[in-house]
Amino acid sequence: MNETESTFTTSRRGLLGGAGALAAAGWIGGTAGSWLLRPGWAHAAGPIKMGIATDITGPIAGAGNADWQVAQFTVEQINKDGGILGQPIELYLEDTASDPKIAVGNVRRLIQERKVDVVLGGITSAMRQAIKDPIVNRGRTLYIYPQLYEGQECTKNLFCTGPTPAQQCDKLIPYLIKTVGRKRFAMPSANYVWPQLLNKYARKVIEANGGEVVFEEYYPLDQAEYSATIGKIKDGKVDCVFNTVIAPGLLPFAKQLAESGFQRNGGVLTCVYFDENILNFLPANVIDGSYSCLDYFQAVDDPFSKQLTEAYSKRFPDTKYLFTGGSAATGTSRGIKFYEAAVKETKGDLHRDAVAAAMDHGVIANGPGGGSSMVPGHMHCTMNMYTAACKVVGDKAAYQIVDKADMVDPREC
Amino acid sequence: MLTAVKTRARRGNRPFRALLAVELFVVAALVAAPLLLWDRLDLITLLTNVMILSILAISFDMCWGFSGIMSFGQALFFGVAGYVIALVGRDLDYSVIWGVLPLAMLTGLALAFVFAVFLLLGRKTPSAIFVAFGTLTGSYAAERLVSGWQYVGAGNGLSSVKLLQLGSYEFIEGYQFYALALLCLGLVYLMCRFIVRSQLGLVLAGIRQNEERLAFLGYRVQVFKALVFSFAGMIAGLSGALYSYHQGFIGPGNMGPGLSTTAVLYCLFGGAGTLVGPVIGTVALEMLSYGLSDVDAIRQFWPIILGLVLLVVVMFQPTGLLGLVVSARERIGSYGARDRRSARI
Repeated sequence: MNETESTFTTSRRGLLGGAGALAAAGWIGGTAGSWLLRPGWAHAAGPIKMGIATDITGPIAGAGNADWQVAQFTVEQINKDGGILGQPIELYLEDTASDPKIAVGNVRRLIQERKVDVVLGGITSAMRQAIKDPIVNRGRTLYIYPQLYEGQECTKNLFCTGPTPAQQCDKLIPYLIKTVGRKRFAMPSANYVWPQLLNKYARKVIEANGGEVVFEEYYPLDQAEYSATIGKIKDGKVDCVFNTVIAPGLLPFAKQLAESGFQRNGGVLTCVYFDENILNFLPANVIDGSYSCLDYFQAVDDPFSKQLTEAYSKRFPDTKYLFTGGSAATGTSRGIKFYEAAVKETKGDLHRDAVAAAMDHGVIANGPGGGSSMVPGHMHCTMNMYTAACKVVGDKAAYQIVDKADMVDPREC
Repeated sequence: MLTAVKTRARRGNRPFRALLAVELFVVAALVAAPLLLWDRLDLITLLTNVMILSILAISFDMCWGFSGIMSFGQALFFGVAGYVIALVGRDLDYSVIWGVLPLAMLTGLALAFVFAVFLLLGRKTPSAIFVAFGTLTGSYAAERLVSGWQYVGAGNGLSSVKLLQLGSYEFIEGYQFYALALLCLGLVYLMCRFIVRSQLGLVLAGIRQNEERLAFLGYRVQVFKALVFSFAGMIAGLSGALYSYHQGFIGPGNMGPGLSTTAVLYCLFGGAGTLVGPVIGTVALEMLSYGLSDVDAIRQFWPIILGLVLLVVVMFQPTGLLGLVVSARERIGSYGARDRRSARI
C-alpha cells in the first residue's frame, strides 16, 4: 500500500512542479503593467487624459514600443507648446501584450480606473476587434486606431489614422507588375482578419493589372515550419511573394524563404507593413530588395518630416524603435494631432460626441510624410503614399522611394 | 457505525474549525467588497473576473483535489462554452440568461462526457499521466483548430459578444455583473460542497487515495471518475460563458493549455481539495499579478517572480496557502450519513 501511495505522490508532485516551472518560464501571462507620463505643469481644469494601449511585450513589441515612444514624443511636443488651449495632456499606457485576452482587461483599466478621454492604440486587427467593444460600446470612449489595416471598420466614434488597402495596393501592385515586371504572385498569410481582407483587395488589383495569384494560404499565427509553402513557391514559379505573415511566424517564414534562394533567383518579396523598424523582427539579409508602400519612409525629404525625425532621434538617441510608417508610429502621431485639432475646435470640450464631431472633418497641415485630412462621414483620412524598395546599408534598413502619390483617398465606409 | 459515532464525537470536541472560518471569511469579504469599493469600478470589474475564473479553478479542484483526475484541459470546456454562447449571440441574436447559461453548462457537460468516454471508460484502466496528457492534448488541439477556423474568427477570436440579457436588462461589467458572478460562484460552491461531503464524496476520496483498493471493493471506479469529470466540465462551461459575456471577448487562448495550466496553479496555490482554496488561490494570484505589474522596479520581470513564487509553493507547501491554517484531518473532512437502508442490508 505504501508503494502505491508513494508512486501516486511522485507523479502528483512531478506534474505540479512542471506546471510551476511553466509559469516561471513566463509561458503563462497575466495582466501587464501600466505606465504614466505626467506633464510638468498643471491647469485649473486638470489635464486631458489620453490612454495608449499598445503591445509593449510579446511578438508585436517591436512595433508597440515605437508607438509608445512616438506618443510620448508627440505629447511632449504639444505640452511644450502650451498644451491644447492651455490644458496639458497626461499620457497613460497599458500594455496589450500582443494578446487580446490580456488586452481586454488592461484596456478597461484605462477606461474605468484612469477614466481617460480618448484611447489610442492596438496594432493587429485581432487586437482592434478585441478592444474596440470595451472602449467604444461598453466604455463609451473615443477610440483612435493608428495602424495600416484591412479596411471596413465603420464603427461610430472609432477613427482610423493608418493606411487602408486602397491606399497601399492601388499604387504598389501596378508598380510591381508594370515597372518591376513580376506577374506570378503568392499570398502566404497569417490566419486572421487583416490578411484575409487585404488579400481579397490585393487579388482584385493584381488580376486587374494582368498579374496572376498562384496561391493564397493561411497559417496559424505562430507556425514555425514553412517548407510546404516554400515548395509551392518554387513549383508554381512564383516571382513575387505578397507576404501577410506576421510575428511570431514571420521570422521563420522569411528566413526559410531567403534560404531557399527565392530572392537570389530574382524573386521579389513585398509586404505592406515592412519599414525601417522591420530589423526588430528580421535579419537584414532577408529583407534586402523587398518592396513596401506606406505613408512615410525616412527617405522622404520634405522639411517638416526631416525636422520631426531629427527631433525624435534627439529625444530617443540610439533607440531601435524608429519613427516609421509600418509600425503604426506615424498613425499614432497623426491620431494625436487629429485629436489636438478636434479639441481646439470644441474649445476644450472633451465630451466624446463633441470631439468626434470635430474630428470628423479634421485637417492637419503637416505630419510625417505630409499632411492629412479626415474624409467627413467616413472616419478614415487621406494621406500621401510612398512606394519604396529596401536597401540594406551596413546593419540598417534604408528605403529608397521609387514612387509617390499625393493625398490618396482611403475609400472606406 | 461505530467509527462514524467516534468521528462525530471527536469533531464535537474540536474547538475551532478553520476551514469553515475561512469559508465564512471569504463569503463576507466578497459580499462586502462592492460596499467598500463603491467608487472603484475597475476593481469591481477585476473582482468579477476573478470570481468567474475561480469557478474554473473549482472545476479543476473537483477533478484533482477530490477525485485524483489530473485534468490539464479544464480550459477546453471553458473556452468551447464561451465560443458557443458568443456564436449564439452573433448568429442567432440570442442571449437570454435562462437560455444561454444552461446551454453553456450543457456544452461543457457534453464535451467533458465525450472526453471521459475516451480517456476514462476505455478497456484499459488509464493512468494519471494518460489522462493528464489526453486532456492537455485536447486543449492544445482545440486551440490550434480554433485559431485556424475562419467561421469562429480564427486568430481573432470572437469580440463584441452580445450582452447577457435578463428581461430587458443587459449586463455590462459593474456591480450587477458582480452580483451575478457572486451568485453563480455561490451556487456552484454549495453544489460542489454538497457533493464532496456526501457519500459520493467519500467514494471519490477513496478513489483519490487508493484507486485499486476501491476497485477491489467492487466500485466501478472509472464510472465515478467519468461522472465527476463531466460535472466539472459543466461548471467550467458555466465559467466560460460568464467570462465571455463579462469580457465581451473570447479567443483561442481562452481554451488552450495556458489557461488550463493557470487553472491548475490557482488551485494548487490556494490548496487543492478544499474548494475554498481555489477561490483564495485565484484571488491571490490575480491580485498579486495586478499589483506586481504596477511596481516600477520589477515591471520587466514580474511574471518570473510570480512563477518562482508558484514554484516555491508547489515544492515546499504542496497543500497550498490553506495548508498553513487547515489541518490535514480537517481537509479530508467528514462525510454525510450513510443511507439507512443500505446500512441494514
